[in-house]
Amino acid sequence: MPGSLFAWLWERLNLFATVFLGIFIEAVPYLLLGTLASGLVEMFVNREQMARLIPRGGLGSALAGAVLGLAFPVCECGVIPLTRRLFSKGLPLSAGVAFLLAAPVFNPIVIFSTAAAFGWGRMLFWRLGLTLVFAVVVGFIFSFEKDGGKVLKVAAPVLDLQPKPKVSLPVAEKMRQALIIATDEFFEMGRYLIVGAMLAAAMQTFVPQASLLAIGNGPLLSVLVMLTLAIVLSICSTVDAFVALGFVGSFSFGSILAFLVFGPMVDIKSIMMYRQVFKSRVVLYLVLLPFLMSLLSGLIFNYLVP
Amino acid sequence: MKRLLTLDTLATGLAAFLLLSIGLVILIGRQLGIRSTVDLPDNDLVGPYQVITLTFSEEVDPNLTEKLWNLQPQVDGRIDWPSPRTLRFTPSRPLQPDTDYQLTLRPGDVTPTGRQLKRSSTWTFRVRAPLITVLRSADGVSAIWAVNLDGSDSHRLTSESVKVICYDTARSGDFLVYCAANKQGGIDLWRVSRAGGDDTILVNCGSDRCTVPAISPDGMRVAYTREAVGPSPELPYGSPRTWMLDISNGQNSPVYEDQQIIGYGPAWSPDGSRLVSFDGLSKQIRILNLTDQKQFIFSSMTGDAFTWSPDGSIFLFTDTQEGADGLHTLVRRADLTINKTDDLIGQNDKMDYSYGSLAWSPSGERVLLGMRTAVDKPGDSLWLFDPATLDGPTIVSKEEYTYNAPKWNPWGTALVFQQFKLRGEYTPEIGLWVDGEVQSHLLTEGLVPHWLP
Repeated sequence: MPGSLFAWLWERLNLFATVFLGIFIEAVPYLLLGTLASGLVEMFVNREQMARLIPRGGLGSALAGAVLGLAFPVCECGVIPLTRRLFSKGLPLSAGVAFLLAAPVFNPIVIFSTAAAFGWGRMLFWRLGLTLVFAVVVGFIFSFEKDGGKVLKVAAPVLDLQPKPKVSLPVAEKMRQALIIATDEFFEMGRYLIVGAMLAAAMQTFVPQASLLAIGNGPLLSVLVMLTLAIVLSICSTVDAFVALGFVGSFSFGSILAFLVFGPMVDIKSIMMYRQVFKSRVVLYLVLLPFLMSLLSGLIFNYLVP
Repeated sequence: MKRLLTLDTLATGLAAFLLLSIGLVILIGRQLGIRSTVDLPDNDLVGPYQVITLTFSEEVDPNLTEKLWNLQPQVDGRIDWPSPRTLRFTPSRPLQPDTDYQLTLRPGDVTPTGRQLKRSSTWTFRVRAPLITVLRSADGVSAIWAVNLDGSDSHRLTSESVKVICYDTARSGDFLVYCAANKQGGIDLWRVSRAGGDDTILVNCGSDRCTVPAISPDGMRVAYTREAVGPSPELPYGSPRTWMLDISNGQNSPVYEDQQIIGYGPAWSPDGSRLVSFDGLSKQIRILNLTDQKQFIFSSMTGDAFTWSPDGSIFLFTDTQEGADGLHTLVRRADLTINKTDDLIGQNDKMDYSYGSLAWSPSGERVLLGMRTAVDKPGDSLWLFDPATLDGPTIVSKEEYTYNAPKWNPWGTALVFQQFKLRGEYTPEIGLWVDGEVQSHLLTEGLVPHWLP
């Protein structure tokens, strides 16, 4: 018996290591891209430019933030450090939150990968449409909070909500500074990525997908299972459409759509990283509201749309 | 009021609203019951072997659901369930032309827990008019063209940039697979839809030659002949071998693991369970049962002319035998149910009629056979005979013409064939014979006719 227990544990540990490395290696390049973008924003974008570019009104600002991903093609790992940096440059909360939620889907790479998996049709249209709506709605709510300190963790080392004096440096020096910032931030956020990836790997190792899929019958349970899978699998949004394609036939359109909309907004590793930027109750909002909206849209498709 | 509009109150309020909406959707959804959609073309015109797929909004019980399904007029076919939400009906006999079909799903329980289809759903469809496809050449580039049965509306299906060498049409009529020369000197396999203009490569064969594609009756696989390029340019191509491509997953491999087994011109049995090929070296026709891997082998000196009975139990093929005045062709019959072969036609012939071009009608009661009419005349004729009585009319016979490549339509009511004039200007033509007509008539110019139902 101890022998078989040891063999089982050994097999699980191997699986854990494989899954962990899979998630981590998939996410690292995007975190690197995000932190690089963050470094560049720090050195090349100033608050005045930001104020000019982003509309002041809550809804307009949220909408602008939601489509900002078209200019910054980052997935959910890279978007968090970049959003934090944009906040420090004066990006309004509503725009930042909308960007955070929408950018992992509303960017050219993910649009093309979704189209490659599902074609230029219904799935792509609804994925983009719902992502935009959810991000704008949540972003708009955040426009009612005028005090950034109540939302953001001010203690984070790179977060500086106060305006900085203008400094004029040569481009080469700015690039060097940007790389230093990117490196620091990469290692800082990388820690939370590792913890998140380990948690996701542990969930996948000890809660087998097959058990989840087996209970995924019915219009309600199927959406709940796919939302849970989205959190547990922690797949990068650039490739999640191909994973979702494997569920076609077993799961309804609404369930798969919920997976594709919710997964890029919330998963284990992004929750871990959110906690470094936002206060706990805000993290709860950022998880709960997209979850409920995705559940509702999945149910509408499952129950009401022919 | 302004004090109420804070992030916390709005977030809580939105969450509460979403929870209420979720409850409401569940409530309304349960009232509506399970819904279903059918996968049919938008114009409700289908091919004669249209697979009908019903998708349910949630998992249903197959036994309960099949009781609610009804297709009128009735059609023989098979129901299977690719997933617990998907019912698929595959006709085993073709849907009839000029007939309105009505598919109905009645209300009733579809799960053991009492979940219901609450409303009756009805879909209607008709079988579209078939097209004829042919190969035509212009400026040294051959392409596949489609024409109506009256020869009108001739339009090209394949791209101008590819040179088509051979092709086959899917039984569903939804697509074609063709072979075309590539820049490396090899021949690739391509696919194009019924509408044409969307050619996509199926198998990139590099310097190898991939030819004679044969699409399985279910349209999921393509068998073809592959000849490997020689080790150096001056050496000839390797022996032809039969390969199979699974269109659904792209798996592409030789049919026989044994490298000694060679074969040319694969063809499917009507039910798609067996594959025929001809080994020209050992002069053998080989039938492989893909289900149990059993093989039937018949010796045949001619080999390339054969046909199946619609139920797949009888296999007719041509062979030669030594007679008093030399070699004669004859038609042999293999009864695959009892594994017995006998001579059907030609065993007592006084001359060689050069039998070839066999085609068994899908309706089962007629077989078409190409044959010479006289020793001293080069012309051919096409004879339509009853395989039970060996009686029947000659549907076309002209001294100066030769005929081959006959193809029946899915209902066995018409056939197209290739005709060549032996004297004078060479123009390949396609003939059409329709049930009830005494003689065939010229349909269009071209080569290698196929039906595109």
